Amino acid sequence: MPKPAIQVRDLVKKYGDLSAVNCISFDVQRGQVFSFLGPNGAGKTTTVEMIETIRTPTSGHIDILGMELKKNRSSVLKRIGVLPQDFNSFDRLTVRETVKFFSGLFNGIRDVDELIKLVNLEDERDKLYMNLSGGLKQRVGIAVALVNDPEIVFLDEPTTGLDPRARHDVWDVIKGLKQRGKTVFLTTHYMEEAEVLSDYLAIISKGSIIAEGAPLELIDKHCNTIKMTIRGGPAEIENVVRERGLTLEDAANGDVTVQIEDNAQILDLLNLLKSRNLSYHSLDIRKATLEEVFLTLTGESLTGELAEEEPSTGELAEEEPSTDEQAGGMPLTGAPLTDNQATVEEPLTPGGDVQ
Amino acid sequence: MNMTRLKVTFSMLMKEFYRNKAVMFFVLLFPILLMVLFGFIFSDQDEVQYILPIQNMDGGSHSWNFTQTLNDTGLFEIRLVDTDLDPYDYLLQQKTNTILVIPHGYQAEMDQIIIQRFIMGQPNNDTANLTLIIDPASTAAMVKTQMLDSLVGAINKGMAGVPDVIGMDIETTVSDQFKAIDFFAPGIIAMSVMTTALFGTVGMNTELRQKGILRKLATTPLTRAEWLVTNVLYQFVMGGLSTISIIIVGMILFGLQPQINLFLPLFIILNVFAFSGIGMLITRFVKDAESAQAAANAVMFPMMFLSGTFFPLEQMPDFLQTIAGFLPLYYVNEGLRSAMINPDMGVMAFNALVIGVVGIVMFILGILLTSWKDE
Ligand SMILES: Nc1ncnc2c1ncn2[C@@H]1O[C@H](COP(=O)(O)OP(=O)(O)OP(=O)(O)O)[C@@H](O)[C@H]1O
Ligand SMILES: [Mg+2]
Repeated sequence: MPKPAIQVRDLVKKYGDLSAVNCISFDVQRGQVFSFLGPNGAGKTTTVEMIETIRTPTSGHIDILGMELKKNRSSVLKRIGVLPQDFNSFDRLTVRETVKFFSGLFNGIRDVDELIKLVNLEDERDKLYMNLSGGLKQRVGIAVALVNDPEIVFLDEPTTGLDPRARHDVWDVIKGLKQRGKTVFLTTHYMEEAEVLSDYLAIISKGSIIAEGAPLELIDKHCNTIKMTIRGGPAEIENVVRERGLTLEDAANGDVTVQIEDNAQILDLLNLLKSRNLSYHSLDIRKATLEEVFLTLTGESLTGELAEEEPSTGELAEEEPSTDEQAGGMPLTGAPLTDNQATVEEPLTPGGDVQ
Repeated sequence: MNMTRLKVTFSMLMKEFYRNKAVMFFVLLFPILLMVLFGFIFSDQDEVQYILPIQNMDGGSHSWNFTQTLNDTGLFEIRLVDTDLDPYDYLLQQKTNTILVIPHGYQAEMDQIIIQRFIMGQPNNDTANLTLIIDPASTAAMVKTQMLDSLVGAINKGMAGVPDVIGMDIETTVSDQFKAIDFFAPGIIAMSVMTTALFGTVGMNTELRQKGILRKLATTPLTRAEWLVTNVLYQFVMGGLSTISIIIVGMILFGLQPQINLFLPLFIILNVFAFSGIGMLITRFVKDAESAQAAANAVMFPMMFLSGTFFPLEQMPDFLQTIAGFLPLYYVNEGLRSAMINPDMGVMAFNALVIGVVGIVMFILGILLTSWKDE
């Protein structure tokens, strides 16, 4: 087996009394998409920025591409690409000039126009950076992270603040990177993103890794249940559920969510409802998601915000054994959702660590 | 130090500058405004020929010769003041700003010094003193002070070699076209270049840090030292532009006639070096933008007022003069003034050396103390 792209051992970062990163160890395999999933303040940025050489670890050991990070800073920098959290660039350079400038710093390997095309910014090529919307700025950042055709790409919350379409564009870019054999280190607090994109993920909370594995592995291991939500039915449905001895998860606004341990229970319950002439509007059956894994592990919500309204597509949905609707994309934190709503993020206050 | 990276970064900064109207204003128009403002203030004064009242309490031949010499320069319109008057009353009543008093005993004292030095061969540091009384609020008085200072300096220089004081030729030391603006322009240039370099460096680096751009640059092969060098190069251009705009406006509007020699650009470069270095150190130790601005102001104000830009140092209390000796801008002022008015190799070289050492120390500290990383 080849050496991992990144090896982290006993990494610690303390800010005064606070252990922002509390003795974590993990490997990132070459050619994989590795996701770091965790809520605000978990220590994601602190960890990646130590690997990116811009923060100094309090203690611990990092090997990257087979080199010891501390002793090989400049050779490492040539082989990695970085999209920092809240990427920003020089206001008065155009998109093309921005990519060209960073490309120049690396003695540019990739063609500037090709990169601009890759992130769908051809129409904005000659616009000043300061006049771009937030989502477009983020995409400039991704292009800039790729100027040196890096072997490892670090993307710290690449889709925060993007609209659903732009988010999918970014996902496509990440999938493309994987296809070209690149290693991607992704940081996110969108469980859906982590599920769809990653080969392997680590859940981090309060500076410690609390679980790691392939997404489906994690779900099977920590939260192997199915949830069924019966929407738009009468209140008696709750009683029927109790009568059958099933666990009632949630009941509100005529929506009843039930925990299912065995697929046979689904049919049984539906038949019973039919026989009692209890009709309902729609059914929604899905497997547990990483959000629930996180809840189970920490008792805390992952995002603390509106979850994705967007149905997830792709690999995962097809693999779901018993759903007739899409998996993974349902609201998890309870708030009602409207169509096409974009997730709005509070601006983050990064460490301001440079210099 | 990688030349390609320096070039790429430098041309990027220049492009940004070219498109940034606010910085453009600060670098080009602000110094011009300052120059115009000062130019009009000073062209209002009794310009080319300064009125110089002289009260000769001594009356000996030396004192009359001295008065004659001043008159011969053509720089002053001499007015003799009655010896019965109190010179302070005269200043008040005549609404004038300067009076030169040749005290009683001037002749005797000078004779004694000459006898001791040249006949008896006893070297000493005694001087026969004149008294110059000025209105400290008057800028014209400062110019006169400065002019008299140069003249007396020239006479003294002559005395060391030639025992005969009276026959001094002083024409060459101070040019006939010497105007107030010639005296103040170097001060304005020194100050503008300082402000541009200091605030330019602090402003740019705190902004880039706040936006996280420095953090991004830290993940590229661009080194900290390369970044500092590009910053300084960029500030050279800014300082050069400020200087050129001041000189051009001074020449067109106020008939400024600067001496142009290599020391002029040298002092600009050293000035930029020292103050962008100080700017780097400020951004290194003061992290948030507002406090960094305040710190830059704290550096700028004493420099502006205590290093002889607006007020001649002679007027200030001794302890302030001592402080001035520690201010880098003082040496830029002195050196630049010499370079632009009255080039004197010794004065220029000494001041260039002092400010050069300060600049290099600041720059090296900047490289040693700052790093891309957190601390
Ligand atoms: N420079 C710093 N000084 C002091 N504390 C810091 C600094 N940088 C980060 N921290 C603290 O370390 C912890 C981890 O922060 P970090 O930015 O790594 O979180 P994160 O997982 O990236 O969160 P987010 O999702 O909000 O980006 C937080 O409690 C934060 O307040
Ligand atoms: Mg973060």
